Formats: sequence, C-alpha cells, structure tokens
Amino acid sequence: MLKKLTRFYHPKTIEEACQFLGNGEGRTAVIAGGTSAALRADSSLEALVDISHISELNYINKDAAFYRIGACTRVQDIYKSPDLKGPAGKLLQAAAGKIGSTLLRNAITAGGNLAGLFPWSDLPVAYMALDAEVVCRRGRPKRTVPVMSLIETRAPQFLAANEIIAEIIVPAYGPGTGTAFAKLAKTANDYALISLAVRLTLKDGAVNQARIAVNAITAQPVRCLDAEKLLEGKVLTEELTAEAANKAADSLNIRKDIRAGEEYRREVFVVMVRRALNEAFENANRKGGQQ
Amino acid sequence: MKLNTRINGRDLCLEIKPNATLLETLRQAGFKSVKFGCGEGMCGACAVLVDGKPRTSCITLAGTVEGSEILTVEGMGNPDQPHALQQAFVDAGATQCGYCNPGSLIAAKALLDSNPNPTAEDVKDALDGNLCRCSGYVKRIEAVLSAADSTASTTGQKKSTRGKK
Amino acid sequence: MAKTTKKTTVKKAATVKPKVSPAISPIPEAPRFFEKPETFNQVSHSLTKVDAMGLACGTQKYVADVDFHNLLHIKVLGSPHPHALIKSIDASEAEKLPGVVAVFTWKDVPRVMRTTAGQGFPEPSPYDNCLLDNKVRFVGDRVAIVAAESPEIAEEACSLIKVQYQVLKAVFDPEKARDKDAPVIHDEKDCRVPIPIFYDPKHNHCSHVETRVGDVKKGFKQADVVLERTYYPHYAQHCAIEPHTCIAYLDENDRLVLRSSTQVPFHARRITAQTLQIPIKKIRVIKPRIGGGFGGKQEVLLEDVCGLVTLKTRRPCIWALTRAEEFMAARTRHPMVVTIQSGVKKDGSITAISMRIISNTGAYGSHALTVLSNCGSKVLPLYRADNIEFIGDTVYTNLPVAGAYRGYGATQAAFAMECQMDEMAEAIGMDPIKFRQLNHIKEGESSPIFKALGEGREGVDMSIGSCGLEKCISEGMKRIDWAKKYGKPGTGVKRRGVGMCCLMQGSSIPEIDMGAVFIKMNEDGSFNLLLGATDLGTGSDTVMAQIAAETLGCRHTDILVYSSDTDMTPFDVGAYASSTTYLSGGAVINCASKVREQIVAVAADMLGEKMQDITIEEGACYGKGRKSSVTFGQICTYAMYEHKQFQIGAIASHISHASPPPFAAHFAEVEVDTETGEVKVLKYVAGVDCGNAINPQLADAQTQGAALNGISYAMTEEFIFSDNGRMLNPNFGNYKIFSTKDMPEIETFLVPTYEKTGPYGAKSVSEISINGALPAIGNAIRNAVGIRLTRPPFTAEKVLAALKEQAKSGKKASSVKAETEKKPEKASKKTPVAAKAEKPVKPAKPAAKKAKASEKKPAKATAAKKKK
Repeated sequence: MLKKLTRFYHPKTIEEACQFLGNGEGRTAVIAGGTSAALRADSSLEALVDISHISELNYINKDAAFYRIGACTRVQDIYKSPDLKGPAGKLLQAAAGKIGSTLLRNAITAGGNLAGLFPWSDLPVAYMALDAEVVCRRGRPKRTVPVMSLIETRAPQFLAANEIIAEIIVPAYGPGTGTAFAKLAKTANDYALISLAVRLTLKDGAVNQARIAVNAITAQPVRCLDAEKLLEGKVLTEELTAEAANKAADSLNIRKDIRAGEEYRREVFVVMVRRALNEAFENANRKGGQQ
Repeated sequence: MKLNTRINGRDLCLEIKPNATLLETLRQAGFKSVKFGCGEGMCGACAVLVDGKPRTSCITLAGTVEGSEILTVEGMGNPDQPHALQQAFVDAGATQCGYCNPGSLIAAKALLDSNPNPTAEDVKDALDGNLCRCSGYVKRIEAVLSAADSTASTTGQKKSTRGKK
Repeated sequence: MAKTTKKTTVKKAATVKPKVSPAISPIPEAPRFFEKPETFNQVSHSLTKVDAMGLACGTQKYVADVDFHNLLHIKVLGSPHPHALIKSIDASEAEKLPGVVAVFTWKDVPRVMRTTAGQGFPEPSPYDNCLLDNKVRFVGDRVAIVAAESPEIAEEACSLIKVQYQVLKAVFDPEKARDKDAPVIHDEKDCRVPIPIFYDPKHNHCSHVETRVGDVKKGFKQADVVLERTYYPHYAQHCAIEPHTCIAYLDENDRLVLRSSTQVPFHARRITAQTLQIPIKKIRVIKPRIGGGFGGKQEVLLEDVCGLVTLKTRRPCIWALTRAEEFMAARTRHPMVVTIQSGVKKDGSITAISMRIISNTGAYGSHALTVLSNCGSKVLPLYRADNIEFIGDTVYTNLPVAGAYRGYGATQAAFAMECQMDEMAEAIGMDPIKFRQLNHIKEGESSPIFKALGEGREGVDMSIGSCGLEKCISEGMKRIDWAKKYGKPGTGVKRRGVGMCCLMQGSSIPEIDMGAVFIKMNEDGSFNLLLGATDLGTGSDTVMAQIAAETLGCRHTDILVYSSDTDMTPFDVGAYASSTTYLSGGAVINCASKVREQIVAVAADMLGEKMQDITIEEGACYGKGRKSSVTFGQICTYAMYEHKQFQIGAIASHISHASPPPFAAHFAEVEVDTETGEVKVLKYVAGVDCGNAINPQLADAQTQGAALNGISYAMTEEFIFSDNGRMLNPNFGNYKIFSTKDMPEIETFLVPTYEKTGPYGAKSVSEISINGALPAIGNAIRNAVGIRLTRPPFTAEKVLAALKEQAKSGKKASSVKAETEKKPEKASKKTPVAAKAEKPVKPAKPAAKKAKASEKKPAKATAAKKKK
C-alpha cells in the first residue's frame, strides 16, 4: 500500500498543482477524493499532489446556458445542490445520488469520476448523455475537450504529466429536453450492474437529439449510437422505443460480472432503456420543462 | 512526516507515515472510538467528520487532511455532557453492540448540521453508509428524528410538520 | 468444570434458606419454576441499557481499543487451494525479513486434534482439525502463522513463505460428497468425535441424525395430497461489524491473558488450553465489549494462535481478521438441501411430514451435528402430525467452514417447512393462515420431537407452558392488512403480494447448559454482579441487572455488571442457543434470592424485628408496619463494620429442565417487477411471543435486527465461488448487506405471555426472528406472481428466470393442486435425499456463473388416492 510514498504536496492553486506534478521527483500522481483502491495499492508512487483543498476547483456555477462544475466538487454536493435544476441538473443529481453512500459521496469528486474511470462509475454516463465538455489545465494554459474524447482515450493517457481536469461544463438544456437516469444494482449502495443515462431533446414533437449512454454492463462507458440514430427525427412510439432498446443492447460488448449473468443483464438493459426513454420523453414534454 | 490538524477542537501535530490512513492515525493518537470494520470504505464504522463532512477514515490518507478539522464521536460529547444525538441514541435503545455507533452518530451529526429538520427519508439517506448488523436501523432513525426535535425545541427553531415515513 | 459446586459458600448459603429440603447435599437443585411477583418494578420496563452512554460516546472499550507496548501483529497465510497436501514448506526467507519475529508452520506446533466449536464439554462436534496441519481443506485454510512488528511486515512475510502443494481433487457439491469416487477430506487417522455418535469421515459423512414418530408411510396413505419439494437455503456470513479480534499477553504472574471478542470465554479458555497443551489455570480469558457475534464468535478461531505466539515470543500480540478473512476463513451458515414430503387431508390435518436434509459443513465439522438436529427440533414440533420422520446428514466439502449462526438450523429448515405449509394449504384450497391456525401447537400440548431430538443425545420431554402464537398471527394480519392484500397482485408490470410464516425456537439447551452468577454487596447499597454470561451487544448485561434489581429490591443502576472474565466471573456456557436471559437470568434470581435473604437477616438484626416481618422497597428494608427502616447502604455498612461482620454476597448456578419455545409470526409484503425480476420488500411485520420481556425495548431491538438480517439474507446475501471453491466476493462491496436505504418499513410487536419456567416469565428472543424472512418473502413472491423460489437469495435474476419459465410452461401459479393419480407410496423407501422434483443446477457447485435460476416448476404434486 503506497509503500514508496514519501511526500504530499498541498497546492492552493491550480497552477501550483500543475507545477508540483510537472516538477515532482519520482512518480507523482494527483489525489482528490482518494477512494480509488487502485491508487492506494500503487506501490510505485513516491509523491501525491492533493488537489482536494484547491478552492478554485470546488464549485457549482450556472450561467445562461451552462453549468460549470469544479473538478474537485464532491458528488455529494452535486446530489444535494439546490442550484442544479432542469433536465441537466436533475440528471447529474440522479447519477450522483446513486454513487456509493453518503460517506463515499463526500470523498468522490466530479472530476475523479473521469480521472479514475471504473466500469461502475455512475457520473460519466450522465456527462455523456449531456454532451458535457471538460476543461483541462496545465497551469494557465487550458484546453476544452468533449467528455467523450477524455473517456475514450482514458485520462492517464489523455492528460499530460502536468495537466489536471479542472472543470466539467454541462449544457443546461431547457424545456423540450428530458432526461432519465437508471441503475441496476443489488442494493442502494452497490456497484452498478447497469448504469444508464438518457437524454431526448425534441423538436416539433419529434426527437431531435437522442443520447443513450451506458456503463457497468460494459467495461467502459459507451454510447449506443445505432439506437440514438434510430430515434432521431422520429416521434416516439411504443414500437420505436422497443426497437431502440433492442438495438442499444445489440451494440453492447457485455463484460463479465460475477454478480449477474450476461443474458439477464442484457434482458434487463432492454427494459431499462425502454423505460428511461419513456421517462425522458415524458420529462421533455412537461409543461414548463423538467424540474 | 508531520501532519497538522485540528482534532476535536485541539490543534495537533502528529508524526505519521506518509502512507498512513486517517483511521490508523486517529487510533494511534488515542481516538479509539473510530473503528475498523472493513478497510474499504464500505461499512462506515470508521466515519469521522472532515471539515464538517462525514467520510470513511479507513480509505482516507492522513496526508490529505493536512490543515483540516476532524471531529470524532469523542468530540461530540461525553457521558457527562452528551450531545443531543448521543442522548437520543441512548433513550431510543439505538445502541446494541455499539461498534457502529460512533460512525453512525458522526453521519447523523453531519445531517443535523446541514438539515436540522430532517424527514425519516433524509435520515435513511444520510446514514446509508453506516452498516449495522444488530439493529435493523429502526431505532436509530427514531433517535435521529427525536434528537432533531429536541435540538429544534431548545434552539427555539420552529418545527415543521414532517412525514414520519 | 464442576468446581463451583464444591465451593463451601454454596453450602453455607443453602443452609440459611429456612425451608429448603434435604439440605445435606452441597449440590444445589435448580428450581423448575420461578415465583411470579405481584408487580414488576425493574423487569418488564424499558430501562436504559447499562452501557448505552459509553457506547454512544465512544468510551466503551472493545478488544483492540487498549494500547500495548511492544505489540506483535499476526497474519496467517491462507491456502490458495481447496484441497492439497503441503509437500514442503520453507519459511526461511520470511524469517529473514526485518521485523519478522516468528513464523510457525505445522512442523513447529504440537498436533492436538480438537474442534473450534465453542460448545459444552465434551463437544458434540468432531475433533477434526488442529492448530496447523500438513493438509489444507478449503481456500483460506491455515498454512502458516507469522508474527511481526507491523501488520504490513507480517503480510509481506506471508508472501515469502515457500509452500509446495500437492493439489488433491476437491468436492464442492454436498450431494456428491458421499459418492464412491469423492476425495476423502479427512483421511487423517486421528480425527474423531469425542462423544458416542455417528461419525464416518472416510465417506465425508460428518454426522447423521434419524428419528421417527409414528409411520410416515401410513400417514401418506391417509393423505388426500402428498407434496414433495426440495429447498436450498444458502451460505451466509454473520458480518458482525467488529471482525474477530484477539490480543494475548503474559501477566505479571506469567499467565497467558487472552483479551478476545468471544461469545464463549470459558469454552475458549478450555479449548485453547487443550490445543496448546497447557493447564487451564495458566489462561485467563477476558471478554470486553464485543462488536456483535451472531454465532460467529462462538468459535475458538484466534485464541490458540495468539496464545502460541505470546507463549513462544513472550511478547503481547494482536490478531484481527480482515473482512476478507471473515468471509473466507471464519464461519458461515450451513447451506443445506432440505427435502420435505408431506401429506395433508382436505380438512386441513397433516397426516405425515418427512424432512430429509443434507447439510454442508464445509471443510470442518463445527456444530455439524447440532445445527442439523436443530433443523428438526426447532421446526417440526410447531405443527401437529402423528407421523414424522427426520433424516439428516452432514457432509464435508472443500468449501468454507460452517458453524453457529443465529437461527442455527431453524433458519434453514423453517424456510423449507413454511414454504411447504403454503404449498399444502394451496393444494387443499385452504387459506394458509387458517391452515396454520388449525395445526400449530398450543399451550399444554407437547411434541414427541422434543424428546426425540436433543443435542448430541436425547432431548428433554416437555409441554408448552406459554404460547402467544395465535395473537402474533391475528395482530400481524391486521398490521400487514392481510385481508385486503392477500391474493390481490394487481395487473400492472409490478405485482404485489403478501406472505407469512410461523416460527418457534428454543430457550437454552435443557439439562446441558449451565450459567452461574456471583453477587456481592457494597456499602453504598450497590451490588457487583459478576457473571459468565456474555454480552456481545445484545444487552444481556442490562437484562441481568434488571433481574437482579427486581429480586433484590433496588434499581438496575445500582447493579454494577461485569461480564465476562474467566478469572473474575463464575462459569457460564456463553452466549448461544438463545440461552442468556432464560438460563443465566435464572442463575441471577437464584443468586440474588440468597443475597436478599442475607440482607433481610441483617436488617432484622438491625431493626430488632423478625425476618418474616421485613419488607424491601427500593433499596431499603422496612420493619413491621413500615415504622422503621434501614437503607441497603446502612445494611451493608453494618455487616461490614459493626456486628457479626461478613460480606453480603452469594454465588449460584442454574440449569434448565425445559427449553420453552418463543413463538413468532412474520408477514412480508412485496412488489415484484415482472420485467426486471426485482423484488422490493415493502413492509415487514414481526410479532413475537418471548414470554414476559425483561426489557421490551431491547427485545424489540433484537427482533428488528434479526428481521432485517433475515431480509438481507433472503434478498441479496450470497457466496459466489470460483470453479476452485474460492469465494469471489469476500467484501462488503460485493457481498451486500442491507443499509438504511434498502430496509422496508419494519414493524415489530411483542405478545406478552408468562413462562413459569423462565426468570420473571421470560423466554428467549434473540434468534427466532432471523428465521422468518426467507419463507415469508418467498410466500409473498408466490402470492404476487405465482412462482415458488426454492433457491435463495431471491435475486432479480432468479425471479426473472422463474417468471420466464412459468410463462414458457404456460402453467398458472396454482397448478400445485393438480389432482393427479398417485402411484402408491414409494417415497419413503430409502431414496437419495435429492428429490427428483427439480433438476436444478447443483446448488453448492461453485461456479462463477450464477445458478441459472432453477426456480421453476411447481411442486411435484401427487394426490393420494384414498384407500377405500
């Protein structure tokens, strides 16, 4: 357990943090929530840069069109935030609230869910369904990238040695958009067997944009592009949702899980997608928008 | 390495191994109310408040609480002057083997600090990380609700009607 | 351990008693009944738990909560193989690691066969293991012991021990364990069982119980319907939040002190002495606060290892199991294959019950026989039947070791029996509650099973002195709203149903268990109550204080309870078999009565009155007409300092001649999602008759806790094994126990009765309520969607598979009734226990893939043709 660890850095700013990361002697890594067992078991790390106390990484802000969430914001704060509303806010809260337990949610961070990506991570699917973007910083310089590219490449490969995830930008959406989150697990604080986020943005009653993002049943978060395509431009009917749900399931590369059979998870996944689509559709059609 | 924290209202400078967990650090410093249950953050027996938030100390590296304020159940009250929640746990019969109580009380305190007037659902939500094998949770939920009532009445806060379920 | 009875104090005290009969023998006679006072001042009240404030403030000390200088840390290397011989073992590299103080392998320790089961002596469990062996029998079995300056060093040292294994064929399926070609798990010459009972390790056959009442064949012939079905209650772990922990050190007199999280300090002392081959007098076992046990700490798992290390190194040491070790190497619930064949007439009378069981004890036979016997003795007497047959076998497999777990056999058998009760009721078209009401045992009735099935020997005949089951049922029906909800699943995707079950347990092991108590008085009127009865979080210290206070006539806060310490407290078998309140509580009354007599005698002397004129009220004695009085404080001060000085105090024991069952009725309401298979328990109602509850709040808490443990067991808890018998989910991340967010609405209530053989009318309460969830929820699911699940836990995956199977077979739920012609009786000829009714995936065969939900077919229903 972190046998070689000798140093902790406690930067107060992002720039300082990036400096420590860039100049650190020996293997250095970022620590925020610190819940990753893999991190704690790493016996090659020599230094940790603790970014959890950097105030410029800890906030939930809203402007006209976007939520901006600091990377070190605890998922418990997302779950309980009174500022998160509407289709995007509610989806983030639903996903955040299903992560672990209160005690873990007070450690796990919005950015940590992307930096240490696990099959059972619940927030990434919400980010994906919302077409979120991620701000990465190397000191001052920053780049803003689609969340998908970070997920697909995986953070350790995607980020430079002195680069950290600083912010997640989430479009707020409004009336005409509906979202839904669903999780299959054995108990409330269990790891997900299936983690699912759906967004439908309607135009003139038809689906203009569909997002179906899924994790846990797969080895990493993926979107069900075929199913999304099938839905777009169409009016949602019972047959269509059923077809989309099956298509979504067909596209999955289901990972092995000792806790439940593949066939079962596939079958339930279809039901969950169907229900989530209906729920999102209902939310999209709500008068005054999803609250 | 040195760790500077404020534990139960006292500033302490502790000598720790860099890879020490907060759990072992606190227990070595004499705060034995903080218990080992699973070592994986899954049972909550080791929960303490870190800057007001309940966390599992067994997976928290001590190095990450530099400059933080820690509260353990010893800091909530003592048998002479128990915290309202501790008294409520006693009165409601919510202590059985008691091993999970410190962690549960810490989580309950965090709840009442942020929400002095919780519903039963709020209590269940706040204590979801504190596993208990003795109680079936019924009496601790009653205890937290009644502590909320008692603190509300002593601080003169108006108590809204709350759904008991 | 008959020492205490020889103590002269016992004899003296006995002679004080004016009326007690022959009075010549110093051996006390345990009373069969206790007097019922007119009013209760201390018992029957929910008084504050004596350790509650300390627990809530974190000042109470558990095993690991004291600091020791120079403490060594122990790690035990576990076997990676389910069955292997240790061909060679080389610890030299480990010994060289800086910080390693000692390493022990099987070559370094004496070979003394014993059992780890903390039971009375001689134990009814086989002596089939030793401190370290040259053979391993399950994944996690002990291979070597390391003591080092830190746990990390100890762990690293374990990885440096070179072991060469000769891997042997393993057997995981209990139904195949006795096959001809099955590997013999205990082929060692020296395994044996210390009492004269069946034991055939050469065929992996650990225990056998067989008992018959009447003639089941005849009974089946009399029946209108005969049903046979097999049920598969599963593995589970206790999950006490405090892991097993033990600290050993040498005291100033060079005696070995074991500070241990044990339910059985006296058995732990005896078994450790036996294993280490040192005299009992060299060992002292201290039980501080315990963080839950549930039977798991009725095993002597750590004390021998810690004792060895301290004796060899002369340094204090600690061993605390990790959570993974708790799951893999501590003890579990015996998984079983329970086949019930039962005959019932249309009028609702049960003509015959045959219960056949294969119990899987894993690699060692801890509690193998007694858990098995309890399947019959704690379940079969509940319903009247003239013809009963119980045939049970416990087998060894290369899986984790089973042992005592709250419920202790009753959990497994009640699941089968109570599901079968619903099936029988359905088969004759009778309401399941009415069917139970018609058949359950009532006050004044007896069951031949009580005598037929004991623990390692014949049981004790008794009749039911108190039974509040009827009230548990009627009140429970109201609370769950049975009439409105039964058989009304609704029509949507989510269906609802209700189910119920009836339960009984016992209260102590009659004429086997003994508890003893010592009380001494202090000059402020307080009393030290020193007892071996072991509070492991149940609140028994408080219950004992209340019983003592009631008997003595003071407040429970004036009783200073100390439990348990083998040097300081008298003997008690420990906390198991639902015995503490009933049995040790009796010892408290016996002891406190003697002390009370002494108090009255001194008060009479002080007041110049006759003893019979003295009355006691709230810590003071009053003379005739309440004209004069002295306080307890004055009385003790007088006895200590003024006149005919002596220590007011006494020691007393108790054994029971009966094991009166507590009764319970449990009800569950569920909602089943027919598309995902997810089952939500909406509400759970548990009504219990535990006699007169000494502390209703604590009894209630026991019931709530046991109920939720049962619910969690029924719904999610399971051991998932690899093909190699390795548990794949030994952590709370993947072995899910219920949290606050998972719990249903739980409603519990006590139905007071008065059990004359128990202290102040009390019976047991601790175990019974863990047994209800499996059948009540199973029956509720059946009520909601028509499937009968026989392989818990009732996971969504299994439910969905059963629903699909049901849809495929096109059979409606209630097909059990099918009045098919029945071939003349053939069931009771000696058939293999595995019923052919279902051909499911082998239950215990460890497979990474989960059982492909075999809950399918309705019971094999055969209607007996009435003989003309």
